[in-house]
Amino acid sequence: MIQVEGLTKIFHDKKRGKIVAVNNLQFNCQKGQVFGLLGPNGAGKTTTLRILATMILPTKGEIMVNGLNIVKHAAKVRRQIGFLSSETGLYDRFTPRETIRFFGRINGMEDKIIEKRMAEIFQNLDMEDFQDVRVNKLSTGMKQKLSIARSIIHDPSVLILDEPTVGLDIITARTVIEYVKSFRDQGKCIIYSTHIMQEAEKLCDMIAIIHQGNLIAQGTLKELKKNSPFDDLEEIFFELINQGEN
Amino acid sequence: MSWKNIKLIFIKELLGTIRDRRTIIAMIIIPLIFYPLLFAGIGYFSKLGSIKSEEAASKVIIDGVEFAPQLVNYLREYEKIEILIIEDDSHAKLQNGDIQAILVIPPDFKYKIEQGEPNKLILKYDATEAKSRIAKQRIDQVIEKYKSEILFQKLSRLDLKEEFLTPLILQEENIATAKKMTGAFLATLLPYLIIILIFTGAMHTAVDITAGEKERGTIATLLVSQISRLEIVLGKCFAVMLISFTSMVLGLFGLTLAFLSGTSIAGGIEGLQFGISINSIFLFFLVLFPLVGLASAVLVMVGIYARNIREASSYIIPIYMLTIFLGIISISQGMELTGKMFLIPVLNSSFVFKELLMGKIYWNHIITTFSANIIIAGIALFGATRLFNKEEVLFRS
Ligand SMILES: Nc1ncnc2c1ncn2[C@@H]1O[C@H](COP(=O)(O)OP(=O)(O)O)[C@@H](O)[C@H]1O
Ligand SMILES: [Mg+2]
Repeated sequence: MIQVEGLTKIFHDKKRGKIVAVNNLQFNCQKGQVFGLLGPNGAGKTTTLRILATMILPTKGEIMVNGLNIVKHAAKVRRQIGFLSSETGLYDRFTPRETIRFFGRINGMEDKIIEKRMAEIFQNLDMEDFQDVRVNKLSTGMKQKLSIARSIIHDPSVLILDEPTVGLDIITARTVIEYVKSFRDQGKCIIYSTHIMQEAEKLCDMIAIIHQGNLIAQGTLKELKKNSPFDDLEEIFFELINQGEN
Repeated sequence: MSWKNIKLIFIKELLGTIRDRRTIIAMIIIPLIFYPLLFAGIGYFSKLGSIKSEEAASKVIIDGVEFAPQLVNYLREYEKIEILIIEDDSHAKLQNGDIQAILVIPPDFKYKIEQGEPNKLILKYDATEAKSRIAKQRIDQVIEKYKSEILFQKLSRLDLKEEFLTPLILQEENIATAKKMTGAFLATLLPYLIIILIFTGAMHTAVDITAGEKERGTIATLLVSQISRLEIVLGKCFAVMLISFTSMVLGLFGLTLAFLSGTSIAGGIEGLQFGISINSIFLFFLVLFPLVGLASAVLVMVGIYARNIREASSYIIPIYMLTIFLGIISISQGMELTGKMFLIPVLNSSFVFKELLMGKIYWNHIITTFSANIIIAGIALFGATRLFNKEEVLFRS
């Protein structure tokens, strides 16, 4: 479970000066739920998720993952999260099996357990045919499966997915979404960022709309629709943004 | 800090590097195959060339054959000189390489010799042509012979002995042993080669596993794991150290092969005798390892700081130039370092290498060099870890 309270992140950029990338965010994400962070480019999605994944520190705010403060117990928190984004690359010169072994080991797993889980995951994701082919010879779809496998090898209870379908063809993107659903059904807590309305509509149990670092609406799709004259997430989204700017 | 985690990163980087075709080409194919073949080829063709120009007889035109019949006879007797008749365009022929030299004998040649006056012959040749240079040497020999003959005749006419001409003889004795000569020979070149090979060996890998990892976006996945950032930096740095050391060893081995294959074809070298003591070898490595560590740590730090591989390369060029500069200073003759100058990294190691190769052990130099380089390497590692903790460095776009 993820609890975010008063999360703020300020960058100091030489050229642009002070940038409030995330401003006073507040949300919770439960087990067995896909929590969607919806917002256009530059809204602050990646920054939020990097903070949740302990890659960067928050300027302000308190964030708990499964009851652990992510700043004070970063190492313990990392053990419980899997992170995947469109930018997390793979090592070209390793095979899927080597990749997964490496990530299992750096997550402190024992070899015997790694092998067992790897076999299961490869079977589930239908990866056995290419498990010994070097990554640079794999198709985009195969690579994305490997990325997913990489992020769940240590059986994290929390998945942090930052626009995992960006740059994928529709078939691969659909597969990714199917897997996200199945992880939800396994009871994982999933936080999923996207700028694509249809994706949020199809996948997310809860949606938080952020714009320029601010949370402008939050709720289930139903709740969002109830509070708006519109019936379509896209319309709701633009209405909220316009309101915010006025 | 756990060695297990450092080892995980270390092995991952080594495996990745070994599987990179560019590394294999740079580390193995170029030094072990390309250099020896290149040198052997150069040796072979230069030998082929010199055999050819030495086998052929030199074509020489003598202007004024009739004025010095005796000298001309000597020249005729010389097997590999062929005397041609003078023609109007003999100059053009020399320029075209049809003939190799023109010897001009003045009309008063005989008269001057009899009078004991200085006599002048003119030899025209082309110093840029190997064949022409050989013709000059041959004619020189004959003229030397003729000259001493004239001298002896004059001496005997005056009733003087041959020794009259050499009242003083300076006999030189080189007390340097073959071992020392070899050491001195190596000392002029080896330190420079070692430094360059260490840096070039470390460069590619250091950039590839730092800036390259940023560029490919794999770094984020390392950060969300149980490995600390210090462990990541150390694992990477050790991997670069091993690659750098290995490429230096392979590079030296290849250059030795190249040198031997080149010279054995071209005629061989004599009197090479290695005489470096076990102690010196031990000290050599004691100084070498901090240098390898220093190069790796600095390059890893730069690689972590850079946004991408291209930026890293542009930062490394000045560092590389500086290294070459320090290397060149160290091989220039007559340069001496004083106490405090052994604190200057790279330069200090190369001077200690030089001293050790010459069979000299100065403890203060060794200790200063060792500590200075270790400390700077440590600072660079610390800096690299600090950079790795900075979000604005890790996630710059
Ligand atoms: N390391 C950084 N330094 C300075 N500014 C940053 C940094 N990372 C992100 N930003 C800025 O913060 C804002 C939010 O970016 P980001 O979180 O990447 O948005 P999103 O993922 O929603 O597109 C943008 O204005 C971006 O330029
Ligand atoms: Mg983003």
